[in-house]
Parts: sequence; structure tokens; C-alpha cells
Amino acid sequence: MGFLNLSKKGIAIALSAQMVLATQAVTMAQAEMLGTDAAISKYTALANRNALMDEMQRDEVRAEIEALGVDPAEAEARLAALSDAEIATMLTQMENDSAGADIVGTLFTIFVILLVTDLLCFTRFFNFTRCVR
Amino acid sequence: MLYTLLQLYAVRPLGAFVKRFAYLLALCWLAACAPPFDPDERLSFDAPTRAQIAGVPLIQQEDFFCGPTSIAMVMQWAGTDITQEEVAALAFSPGAGGTYLADMIGSSRRLGQLAVEIDNFEQLLTEVTAGHPVIVFQNLGFSVVPVWHYGVVTGYDFARDEVYLNSGQQDQMVMPFAVFERTWRRGDYWGLVVLPPDQLPASVDEAEVLSAAAALERVAQYEAAETLYETGAANWPENWLWQFGLGNARYAQGDLRGARQALRRARSIDPTIPEVRANLAFVESEIAG
Repeated sequence: MGFLNLSKKGIAIALSAQMVLATQAVTMAQAEMLGTDAAISKYTALANRNALMDEMQRDEVRAEIEALGVDPAEAEARLAALSDAEIATMLTQMENDSAGADIVGTLFTIFVILLVTDLLCFTRFFNFTRCVR
Repeated sequence: MLYTLLQLYAVRPLGAFVKRFAYLLALCWLAACAPPFDPDERLSFDAPTRAQIAGVPLIQQEDFFCGPTSIAMVMQWAGTDITQEEVAALAFSPGAGGTYLADMIGSSRRLGQLAVEIDNFEQLLTEVTAGHPVIVFQNLGFSVVPVWHYGVVTGYDFARDEVYLNSGQQDQMVMPFAVFERTWRRGDYWGLVVLPPDQLPASVDEAEVLSAAAALERVAQYEAAETLYETGAANWPENWLWQFGLGNARYAQGDLRGARQALRRARSIDPTIPEVRANLAFVESEIAG
């Protein structure tokens, strides 16, 4: 009898402990693993965007843009307004136009300036740019 | 007349002589007034004068099976035991009498291969000089009367003005650059690099290889995905996404400890990514529970 009582008590303790643990586990974990696909599209888009924005911060790029009579802050705002898909399309076009060479350095600078001038309707280099005046 | 022959050539089992004759006619027509291929003008890298990939088998295609045959040739070259019928079961559309581009990519991935598209000469020759055969999509007819065809580029020779293809026949196909270019241009320069997941393409950027790896996960080829993530992680060690994918691919195979190890590496590369920390916590709670 005593043995049975002890056993019931033990079960009760074990069950309540398990319930506490289970509740905790539910509150701290998501329902499933987050997928690789979603992370790739999110973070590669972010990296593309950052690369453009970084280029915009360089002094020689800002000087060039100012020389064209454009306010760098406005240029940044225009760049920020591009969608991820547009940025990806544009980078692909840059790569194709540079015949497969890595787009870094001077070439990238030129492309970014062209992009800004495109967005301000001075040029029409990229296929997708919407010229708004 | 010409296109009738071409079409017959492409779709029906004809006698070898008629086939050759039709092909010869097509070549003559296509080669007319063709400018020579100038590698210095067309390529940004210094490609060797010639390149030849050894060991790509010549498989005689069955009717309409140029797509599956191309994939089978490339996979056999890489050491996989596979037939064109096995590929066709995953790729071929009987109603269309051919294989769609998307199914070329999809079937390669369902067979556990790394498959990435290319779209220009630069990439094609970069891959071939790196020793990777490339599947190309050609229109051997006119743009208004297309005769679609898939072949595998296995080499080229600038000096002799020749592109070498394994094109679904017993003999190697040899085309002048200009002819090859025209037939390929009509196929929008579509090409497909199919490699085993422990090798990386030479002409494709990291983001596209990452997407191809994630696509292997999507078609439940977790082992292949795992291998490709490991290969990518070795090549681009500073990008946490490879370790993140590796963690997910190992988790999908029930390898919790392996997943935890990869996700911890991802976290040490970049401790700020919420997705990494969430999945690591998830795996750790499963190991604990």
C-alpha cells in the first residue's frame, strides 16, 4: 500500500516536471527548422544591396555624383527604393556587360554612377530603370 | 526541303546516309557568310588554343531523347551508372516530344547532381577549359521552324575553328565556331553545367551555387545537398550560409549532432543571424529532449 502511494506520488512529480519542461520547450523553440532557401534569398539580396550602398559611401563616387549636379542623399534614396529583384537583375546585367570579369573597383564605380544617373533620367543604361521626373 | 530533312533528321530514325546528308546540308547553309570566332575579342580571359575533355561517352540517343541522353553522358562521365531511359523517366515530356529546359535542371537535381545554368560563350569556354562538359540547347533549324536539340560540348580548337560535341550519335559532332554560335544563339545561349556535388562550376557565382544546393534539399537529395554544402563551405569559408545549409541538410537526414556542429560553425562565422540561432536552439532542444 505504502509502496503504491509512493509510486503515485513519484508519477505525479515526474508528470508535473515533464509538463513544466514541455511548456518551456514549446515557448522557446519554433515549430520547425527554418529553411535554407528563404535564408539564401534574404541574405544574398541583403548582400547585393549592401554592396551598392557601400559603393555610394565612397568619396570618389559621391564627388562624381555631385559633379553631375545630384544630391548624394537623393541618389541613396533612389537606390534604397529599388526592389531586391531589380537589384539582382541589375547586377546580372553588370556582370554580362563586363564580359564575365569580376565587377569590382573602377568598373563597379562606373556602373553605380550609371545606375544613379539612370534613376534620375540622365541616362538609360539599365533595362528596368524607371525614370521619374 | 532543307527544313523537312532537318526535321526528319532530328526526330525520326533514318538511315545513316540520309542523316549525314541532311546534317551536311544544314552545316553548309548555316556556315554561309559566317564571321570567324575571335577569342581575343569575345573573351575576357586568356583561353587556351584548344581544350578537350576526355571520357565523355558517346551514347546513341533514342528517338526524341537528346535531353536525357545529354544528362546521361555527363553523369556517366562523372562516374555515375545511369541510362538515358532512367533520366527520361524524370525529364521527358511524351506529349511535347521533347524535354523542357526546366526538366533538364529538375531531373539532374533529382538525380543528386549540382545543376547550374550558364548563358554565354565566356562561361561555356571557362567551364570547358576547367574540364567540365556543358549541355547546350541548340536550334538546328530556323528560328521560325525550330529544330530543338540538346548536345554536350566536350572541347574546342580555335586554330582549327572547331567545336566538339557529343550530340546523341555514335560519332563526335564537329562544328565551326560560327555554326555552333548560330545554333546556340537561337537557343538563347542556354547551357547547363551538371556536376557531382563534390565539384564546383568554374564560371558561376557563389549565390547561384548556393541556390542549386538549396534546390537539392528541396527535392529531398539531402546527401547530395550535404556534400555540396561541404564543398561550398571549403571554397567560401567566410559565408555562414554554407554551414547553415549543411546544418539543415544533416538535420533532414536525422544527423542531429552533425547538424549542431555545422550550425555552431555558422554561428561562429556570424553570431548575429537570427535564423542560425533559431535552428541551433531547435537542434539543441531535440538533442536534449
